[in-house]
This record gives sequence, C-alpha cells and structure tokens, in this order.
Amino acid sequence: MIKEARDKLGVLLQGKVPDAIGTEHCASEDERQLANLLNELFACMQEVHEFIVPLSQGNISGIALPPPRNFLSSPFKELHSRLMHLTWQTSRVAEGDYSQQIDFMGDFSEAFNKMIASLDRNERELKIKIAELETALSRISQLEGILPICSKCKRIRREGTDPGQQNSWEAIESYITAKTQTMFSHGLCPECVKALYSDFT
Amino acid sequence: MNTSQPPRTFSWENLGDLQLGRPNLGPMAPVLAYRLMQFTLWDVLIGEFGPDKANDLFRRAGNLAGKEFCRNLLDKSLPFSAFVAQLQKVLKQQLIGLMRMERVNLETMQFTLTVAEDLDCSGLPCTDEIVCQYDEGFIAGILEEYTGKVFDVTETDCWASGARVCRFSAKLSGDAPHD
Repeated sequence: MIKEARDKLGVLLQGKVPDAIGTEHCASEDERQLANLLNELFACMQEVHEFIVPLSQGNISGIALPPPRNFLSSPFKELHSRLMHLTWQTSRVAEGDYSQQIDFMGDFSEAFNKMIASLDRNERELKIKIAELETALSRISQLEGILPICSKCKRIRREGTDPGQQNSWEAIESYITAKTQTMFSHGLCPECVKALYSDFT
Repeated sequence: MNTSQPPRTFSWENLGDLQLGRPNLGPMAPVLAYRLMQFTLWDVLIGEFGPDKANDLFRRAGNLAGKEFCRNLLDKSLPFSAFVAQLQKVLKQQLIGLMRMERVNLETMQFTLTVAEDLDCSGLPCTDEIVCQYDEGFIAGILEEYTGKVFDVTETDCWASGARVCRFSAKLSGDAPHD
C-alpha cells in the first residue's frame, strides 16, 4: 500500500488526479486510515480541478461549485464569488447605474471605482453639452425661413401680422434680439459716415 | 407592591444614545464581544430547546433585526440596484460585513449574494456546519422590509463549512430553491 500511495502522490505532483488507493490489501488499521485520508485528498483535488479549470477559461456562472467541506477549494470559491459580484456590478454599470462600488479588491477596486466615477462624470458633462446644443439648435431654427423685410428701412414684419399696419413692422435689431438673445452695439460703417457727415471728414 | 413589568419588546430608540453613553469608547465593539454573546447564547438556547429550535430563534431574531435595520438605516424608496449599492455601503460602514451581490432575477425575485468578513463566522475552523442562521434571518428581514414580500434565505456556503465566504440564496417564501 505504501508503494501505491507513493506512486499516486507522484501522479498528483505531476498535475493529474490519481485513482483512489485500494484499501483491501492494507496490512494494518493505520495503513487503511492513511489510504482513506489520501483518497479524501485526491477527491478534494479532483473537485478543485473540475472547478478551477473552467473558471480559468472564463466560465463563471455556469460551473458547479465544489461541495462544502472541501477546504482546498475555499480560496477558489472566494475568487469565484468576487468574479460573480464583478459580473453583476459590471452589468449594472452597463445599464447606467453608477452607484456601484467595489470594496477591498486591491488595485482592481481602485481602477474599477475610478472608471465608474469617470463614466459618471463624462455622462453628466455630455448631457450638459447636449442640452446646450439643443438650445442652440432651437435658436437657429427660429431664424430659419423667409423673412419679410422692408426694402427701404429694413424693418422685419412679424409673422402673421397685417402688412398694411405700421406696428406690424419691427426694427431688425429688436427682432433678432427677441429671437436669439443676441445684443447689438451700434456704430457707423465708413460709407455711412461719409454719407451722413461728409462735411466733417 | 406589584413589581411585574410588561414584557420587553424591541424598539430602535431603546438601543440607546451611544454618544452619550460611550463618550470615550465610542460606538464600535470588537467582534470578540459579539461572538462571545452570540455563541454563549446559542449554547444556552440549544441546551434549553434543542438545536432546531435554537436555530429558528436565531433566525427570527435576525429577521427582526434586518427589518429594523432597513427601516432605520436604509432608503427604501431607491430602485433595486441603487438599494443594493446603498446596503453594501452601510454594511461596510457599520463593520457588519462586505456584501457582494452575485445574481439577481427580479422577475422571480431570486438572489444570490455573499458576505465576507462577517461577524458570525469568518475565520472559524472548518467544522462542516452552517452557522449563520442569524444572518439568514437578517437578510430575509431586509428583503422583506424593502419588497413587502416574505423571503426564505438559506446559507449555501459558510466559513465553517470550508468556503472562506458566506453565500446566501434568497427566494420568495414557498418557491422552489434555485442555484
């Protein structure tokens, strides 16, 4: 039995899980107990192997967990738990929930939490920009179309008013200010200066 | 003189003013004190009523605690995922444990979550036991207070069963168990 145990431990150290040691040929009770303990170890290793290999390939939610009492598998179960949690939190963030935070997972926590904060900030800034653009767009659309304008004094006729009424016509500055909130500062171009003040130039 | 008093019932206010009562030691206590109370009380309850009844009493106490905790420390108006984020944060702030949600199915109301570094069992030797009955009740109480529905919460992995993490499965009471 000792030789069989030695050979099977050698197999285990080569990265394979050996078959159970037969207990029928054990020479003593001590040997039988040793064989049983080794078989328990092999079974635990088998469970760990069947769990960790698919997990290492990214199969997180579809694998069966090792049963309780397999102490060798416990760090891997803890790792699996954290990966499941990350998967869920990432799915929440993907749906725009930036209230999620990762706790105590070292560098990963810091990077993940920074990413969420950054996404949150970028989205808020983007929303502000979109609102600004929408406002600008609505102002542009207010100036679209054909404006009725007086050929001589350049007053604009307000939409839907009677052309025969003088109060239907509005100075171009006040018309544009009302539509776009653009303010005007008044001056004179050289040609108008010449026409108006030719005696002083 | 009649010295009998009405039976004592729980109220959040009767937890006391810790700023007034513990100006020097503060509101936190070591996990040792919690576990000393928990495991000695459990020992007495098992001796008095047997393990099944003792576990049930612990679960019911946890349920009451979970409901009160939710009523007094959590914002129940939040949508589910924000509520989970808040719960995770408050449990960490109160040094109760590190909760991590793993699976959520809002259609069937089935959830899987873990609590690491918990008060009850983190670091216990592997004794092939599930010892977090109080936490089962606590989680069920929080979910019940938030949703208005009755939940069954079962611990499927426990430090004491060799898992290094406590995993809980929650489902509506009366539903079939889920993975």
